[in-house]
Amino acid sequence: MVTFAILASVAVIGALGVVLLRQPIHAALSLVGTLLTLAVLFVTLQAHFLAAIQVIVYGGAIMVLFLFVIMLLNIEHERKEVQPWLRWAAYGVGLVAATGLIVGAMLDPRQAPDHAVVRDTLQGGHPRLIAEVLYGEFMLAFQLVGVLLLTGMVGAVALVQRPRPQRTSAMIDERRKERASDALEAGGR
Amino acid sequence: MTGDPVSWAALAPFLALAGALVNGLFGARLREPLPGVIASVAVGAAFVLSLVAFATFGERDAGVGVRLWEFMPVAGLDLAVAFHLDQLSLLMMLIITGVGALIHVYSIGYMHGDDGYARYFSALNLFVAAMLVLVMADSYPLLFVGWEGVGVCSFLLIGFWYRQKQNPDAARKAFIVNRIGDAGFLVAMFLIYRTFGTLTISEVNGAVGGFAFGAAALTGIGVLLMVAAAGKSAQLPLHVWLPDAMAGPTPVSALIHAATMVTAGVYLIARSAPLFAASPDASAVVAWVGGITALAAAIVAFAQTDIKKILAYSTISQLGFMFVAVGVGAYWVGIFHVLTHACFKGLLFLTSGSVIHGLGGEQDVRRMGGLRRLMPVTAATALVGTLAIAGVPLLSGFFSKDAILLYTFSSTLLADHGSLVLYGLLLVTAFMTAAYMGRWYLLVFEGEPRLTAESRAKVHESPRVMTVPLVVLAALSVLIGYVGLPSFAFPNLIAPWLQAATASVPFDYPPVWAEWLLIGVAVLVAAGGLALAWWVYALQSGRPVTRFGSGRLAAFARNGLGFDALYRSAVVGPSEGTAAGLALLDRDVLDRGLAASVTTAGFLARAITLLQTGYVRNYALAMLAGAVILVLVVVIAGVRA
Amino acid sequence: MVGTEAYVTLSAVLFTIGAVGVLTRRSAIMIFLCVELMLNAANLALVAYAYQWAGTGLLTGISGQTAVFIILAVAAAEVAIGLGILVAIFRNRASTDVDALSEVRL
Repeated sequence: MVTFAILASVAVIGALGVVLLRQPIHAALSLVGTLLTLAVLFVTLQAHFLAAIQVIVYGGAIMVLFLFVIMLLNIEHERKEVQPWLRWAAYGVGLVAATGLIVGAMLDPRQAPDHAVVRDTLQGGHPRLIAEVLYGEFMLAFQLVGVLLLTGMVGAVALVQRPRPQRTSAMIDERRKERASDALEAGGR
Repeated sequence: MTGDPVSWAALAPFLALAGALVNGLFGARLREPLPGVIASVAVGAAFVLSLVAFATFGERDAGVGVRLWEFMPVAGLDLAVAFHLDQLSLLMMLIITGVGALIHVYSIGYMHGDDGYARYFSALNLFVAAMLVLVMADSYPLLFVGWEGVGVCSFLLIGFWYRQKQNPDAARKAFIVNRIGDAGFLVAMFLIYRTFGTLTISEVNGAVGGFAFGAAALTGIGVLLMVAAAGKSAQLPLHVWLPDAMAGPTPVSALIHAATMVTAGVYLIARSAPLFAASPDASAVVAWVGGITALAAAIVAFAQTDIKKILAYSTISQLGFMFVAVGVGAYWVGIFHVLTHACFKGLLFLTSGSVIHGLGGEQDVRRMGGLRRLMPVTAATALVGTLAIAGVPLLSGFFSKDAILLYTFSSTLLADHGSLVLYGLLLVTAFMTAAYMGRWYLLVFEGEPRLTAESRAKVHESPRVMTVPLVVLAALSVLIGYVGLPSFAFPNLIAPWLQAATASVPFDYPPVWAEWLLIGVAVLVAAGGLALAWWVYALQSGRPVTRFGSGRLAAFARNGLGFDALYRSAVVGPSEGTAAGLALLDRDVLDRGLAASVTTAGFLARAITLLQTGYVRNYALAMLAGAVILVLVVVIAGVRA
Repeated sequence: MVGTEAYVTLSAVLFTIGAVGVLTRRSAIMIFLCVELMLNAANLALVAYAYQWAGTGLLTGISGQTAVFIILAVAAAEVAIGLGILVAIFRNRASTDVDALSEVRL
């Protein structure tokens, strides 16, 4: 109970940080904090494998990517709002959404399962069990994810390519002239 | 087509229809007088067919049926286009095609030089075709087809000179008033089907015997048929269209509004004779409407100053006589008067057409007079017609009118419905008929000429193509009456012949001496009327005739006894008011409303474009809000369930 | 042991914070970050329910975690592509201001 309270508070504070912090680096680091907290929460929910994956993939790969881009592009902090009403509208919608979801969750009290039973069943989210389901029941989904990752790789590479200059005949002539003048200069010296 | 010559008469309407089509489609390319010749030949051929059929019909006691093709074979009703040729229909066909052919020939001369020469003959032929279908039909719906057809042709021909506004107005008036009658016809047909289960006339007539005498169903049907007849035959209160119909060319007035179409109502009742014979109440309605109409129209005729309007009211009055005849149960007498009236009224109209033509368009009798010397043939034939209609002995009108008087006097069918009062009414009307017709003749043809200068310059006798039909009709007016001599003393050919096709009603014949007395009374009445006319209009030979009726009663009579004014205030006024109100509604409310909705739509469209800001975050906000709402609804509603 | 509702409540809170962040932040990178937050909130909810349903049977329980596993993979691919697009845009305009990128007009 206490564990959960502490962990939940940390997660929420981290989330608020993402939203409210000015500097992008600060916000990204705040998100990392939240993600790690979430990983711990996974552990309490008998999903040890998932927690590990969360840390490795999210924290180790995705956030690193984010930080690289932020630093590379030298993103500054934002300027003034153009539409102030949007902020308040967003808060309003958010409040409604949160209340609604919480109410929805509360309205459906379930019998908390027996911890021992769950531990035996899930075995801490053992990789073997996940693999059995993934390669069995969800085989199609697994293959599709593979395709998706391939597409992502190709797309990412294609997106960051610098456009190659077109080699028109005019440019080839110009290039030859440059090389000739360079050779002349070099030969002259 | 069988080998029976009587059935060949079924071709007659198609001949007339062919003539109408030729003239209608190609008339513009044909030069005068070719369209007129084509039309006359078509009707003449139809007349020959009718004559052959008439001659070969002989002593048969049943009609000949000619079935052409299926029309409406539905469950419970098997309507076909079929003709029923019996004595009644053959006689009517002879009248239609015979008088019709004469009038077609006359029109060749009368319509000479008119722009719509071919159109005229096309419509006239079409009329003959429709009228033939009407009298040959073996079922009420087919009769109604002919009924409507003649109405349409009447409309086309009344409004023939459509460029002057009053002519199409008159045509419309005729059509609309006729419509009221047609409504009665339709309801009557519904009732007939409901009562008898069939619409074939011979079957209906045969089934009447199964009903009680004076049954309510029969009375209802009879009254409704009378409504229809009143519309078509211009009886009170649906008579208002006939005087206005004089706007059409005079031959049209002669053929349609004197000899044939207006007698369709009488024909309808004679055709349904068994039904009327079994319902004294319906017959009483028929007779009394006819009687009152006859008297009222005669009063109005006195005050008219248009040469054709006098004859128009006279026609209404004579039709009233015919209705009295069929009302008291003397069906053959009514048809007999149709026959004689076709001859002398057709003649009278054609002579007035000759006068109008000869004077270059003048129609006011106050500007005529003394034409006997200037147009001798026309005057002589007009005199014959006048004497015939007045009921001078030995002319046709005498025999038919006298028969009507006799049978009205001795009716048993309407003995409880005031048949004697009717007799008196008719007697007075006969007196007035003689008087106003005498007035007509004297004002037009006798005395000192009161012509205008331009009429005086143009006046001429009409060409032979117009005067020959006049002479033929005059001869007929004299001779045709001899088929219907008073049966108590002389051989009567027409009565037994027609009675087989209509119905036989018992009459309370007075003794022979009384019948002679009645004839004498009728003669006296006619003579008295003519004498009165002579005294008022001719004896003032030295002084110019000034008595045209200038008192208030005369003015009231001249306006048709106020019927037109009544219709105007009761029907036309409110209709026009409603139409104006609706137009206002349409223009101000609906049109403005539509314009407003257009503006509103534009406003809404512009308002909606405000949503398209182009900012991604606005769109994202909208998406989020929508998604939240949907999810919440599902979650909470689902959870609660 | 805390009930499932607590975890779901936490997930809801994190999700809405992320949504508000998406709407409020103006830089494209920051919006992306908030989207990642939302994804994680969803993952948490899934794992919580997996725990809840594991009491009834293995398949139900383990399916939730497998789903999270797949979502993680998808998120990774998505981030790669998304950042690639961002870089491409930044090359063109030298700014990641979303409002300035308002060419998505219907």
